[in-house]
Amino acid sequence: MSASRARPRSRGRSIFGQLTVASILIAVIAVAVLFAVTTITVQRQTRASLSAMVSTDLAGLIDIYATGGRDELLRRVADRQDVVSLEGRRSHYMVADGAGRRLAGDIRQWPQVNAARSEEGFISLANGTAVYAQGTRLAPDLQLLAAREYDRDSTALAVLSAAFLGVGAAIVGAVALVAWFTSRHLARRMDAVNAALGAAADGRAASFPARQRGGDEIDEMAGHGARLLARQAQLLKAYKHVSEHVAHEVRTPLMHLDNRLGAAMQARPEPAGGPLGEARKDIRSITTMLDSLLDIASAESQRGDLAGLARIDLSALAGNLAELYEGSAEDAGLSLETAITPGVSMLGERMQITRLLSNLLDNAIKYVPRGGEVKLLLSDGPRVVIEDDGPGIPHDQRDRVFERFARASAPGDRPGHGLGLALARAIAERHGLILRLGDTPRGAQFILEPAP
Amino acid sequence: MRGRKGDAGHPGGCWTMSNLNILYVEDDPRAAEAVQALVLADGDRLAWEQTGTGGLHRAGAEAFDVIILDRMLPDLDGLTIVSRLRAAGVGTPVLMLSALGRSENRIEGLEAGVDDYLAKPYEPQELVARLRALHRRSAGAVHGAVIIYGAFECHTKARTAFRSGRHVPLSPREFALFRYFMENAGETVTREMLLRDVWNMNFDPQTNVVDVNIGRLRRKLEDGFASPALETIWGAGYRLTRGE
Repeated sequence: MSASRARPRSRGRSIFGQLTVASILIAVIAVAVLFAVTTITVQRQTRASLSAMVSTDLAGLIDIYATGGRDELLRRVADRQDVVSLEGRRSHYMVADGAGRRLAGDIRQWPQVNAARSEEGFISLANGTAVYAQGTRLAPDLQLLAAREYDRDSTALAVLSAAFLGVGAAIVGAVALVAWFTSRHLARRMDAVNAALGAAADGRAASFPARQRGGDEIDEMAGHGARLLARQAQLLKAYKHVSEHVAHEVRTPLMHLDNRLGAAMQARPEPAGGPLGEARKDIRSITTMLDSLLDIASAESQRGDLAGLARIDLSALAGNLAELYEGSAEDAGLSLETAITPGVSMLGERMQITRLLSNLLDNAIKYVPRGGEVKLLLSDGPRVVIEDDGPGIPHDQRDRVFERFARASAPGDRPGHGLGLALARAIAERHGLILRLGDTPRGAQFILEPAP
Repeated sequence: MRGRKGDAGHPGGCWTMSNLNILYVEDDPRAAEAVQALVLADGDRLAWEQTGTGGLHRAGAEAFDVIILDRMLPDLDGLTIVSRLRAAGVGTPVLMLSALGRSENRIEGLEAGVDDYLAKPYEPQELVARLRALHRRSAGAVHGAVIIYGAFECHTKARTAFRSGRHVPLSPREFALFRYFMENAGETVTREMLLRDVWNMNFDPQTNVVDVNIGRLRRKLEDGFASPALETIWGAGYRLTRGE
C-alpha cells in the first residue's frame, strides 16, 4: 500500500451530502421565518382591527350617554347585545356601577379591565368566552365595557398556519429532492474522477469519465487528471527508454573490452589475481553498479505502485534465503538464527523482495565479526527484522546509511559500491513498506514493515 | 539487409549427440564473431542472422536446437520476436543475450516466452553451459528413480546419495544441489543456473553464497575419498566429476 494512501471517505464528509443537508436546513429556516413574520403581521392586524371596532362601538355608546343620558344608554345596550357584526364577530356589553355591579348588558361580571384608565386588551369573560374588550368610566358611579369575540380570527390564523405548514413542507421536500438528485449526480461524477485518480495512484488501469455536454468544472478536473496521467506515462516511457539505452551503450563496449581481455588471457594465461583477470572483475563490478543504480531508480519510480504484484509466500522465501546464507554465516564464524512465522504472505515482486532480504543478510554477515550472531525474524504484518550483535552503525551515520554510495566505515576493506541498502529501501517503498533502523543498544537492527 | 554469414559446420565432421544446431540473431558483428568462435570451437553449428525479421523468418522456416537472440535489434525487438515465435507455435528454446541485464529486464524476457536470459558481458563458458542445459531441458531428459554417473548414485525418491556404494549423508538442500549436478552430469553448471534452479532466485546476489554451499557439498562428497567430486571451471561454475 502506498505511504500516502487516502483513507476512505465517510458519507458525512461528502461535500455533496453536506450541501444537501444545508439546503434542507435553509429551506426549513426560510419557511419558518416567513411563517413567523406572517403570523405576527396577521395578529397585529387583527388586534388593530378589533381595537378599532371596540373603540368605535364604545364611542357610539358614549355619544348615546352624552345625548340620551343613563337610561337611554341602558336601554340601547340591552338592544345591542344580540347584534352580530358583519364580519361575524359577536359583541358583548356591560354597564356597571362604580363598584362593578351589572346594570345592563350580557356580561355578568366586570372583568379585569380598569375603566378609569380606559384599558383594552384580550381577556376571558366569566363564562370563558375569549374577547377583545375596552372599558371606560362615564361617571364616578357608571362604567361601560364593550367587547368583541375574535374566535373567527383565530380560526383564520389556524387555517393560515395549516396552509403554511403544508406549503412549507412541500417546499422543503422539493428542495431536498432537487438537492439530493443534484448531489447524487455530482457525487457520482466526482466519485468516477476520484476512482480514476485512486486507481492511477495505486498503479491500476485508470479511465476518466467521458466529458459531458458543455463541460463543467468536474469535466475540467477529469481532463487535467487524464493529461497528468498521460504525461506521467510518457515520462516513465522516456525514463525506461533512456535507461535501457544507457545500459546498452555502456555494456556493449564493456563486453567488447571483456572479450578482448578474455582472448588475451587465453593467449597468455596468467596466475589467479593477474592484471587481466582483475580488469575483467572490474568490468563486472562496473556493470553491477550500473544495474543497481538503474534498479534503484526503477524501484523509486514505482513507489507505492502495486501494479504487477502477486501474492508471494514470504515465509517460504525467507526460509529459502536463510538456508542459502547459513553456510556463509557458518564460514564467517557466525550463528544465523531464524524465527519465521509460517504462512506470512504479501503482495510483492518475488525477485525484488528476495533481493531486499538478501542485501540485508549479506550486509549483516559482512559486518559482524567472528563469534557474532545474526537473527532473521519474520512475523505477521509482514514484519521482518534482521538484527545482529556486531559493531552496529555509528550514530552520525544512521541518517545516511540508506543513501546511494553510503558505506559504513568499518575495519577492513569491504567490497561493494554502497548501493545495497539504498536499493533495499527503494524496493521496500515500491511495495508500500518502510525499511528503517531500529534502536538497539548494540549491533544493527533493520526493520521492514508496512508504511504507517 | 539479411546478413547471413553462412552455416558454419564443424570442420572435423565428428558429430556427437551434444553438437547443437544454433540460430543466432545479433546485429553487432563483433559480438557475433565472438560467439561464433566460441560455439564452433565446441563443435556446434551456428547460423547467424543480423536482423530481427531475418531471424524470425529463419526460426520459423528451419529446425534449430536452440536460438540465441539479442534483445535490442534495430528493426525488431527481441521480445517481439519471441512472442511471435511462440504465437506461431515454434517451441525452440530461446536464450536471450542482452546488454539489459537487470532483474526486471530478465522478468520481461521470461514473461515474453524466453527460456533463459544471459546478460552481457558474460563468460563464454557460461553461454555454452546455458545452451547445453537449455537443449537438455527441451530434449525432455527424463530421469528415473536412480541416476548413476561414474561412482555417484542419486536415489531421487529415497532422496539419498551414494559414492562408490557408500552412503553420503546430505541435508535436503545439499541433496537438491547434488541431484541438479547429477541431472547435468558431465556438463558445466553455472552459479546463475544453480541460483535459478536450486534456490529459485533470478538474480546473482554478487556474493559467494553459492560457492560456500558448493564447498559444503564438496566436502561431504569428497570425505574419505582421494579424488575430487566437483571441479571448478574458472569464471563459469562447476562440473561433477565421475568420482572414480
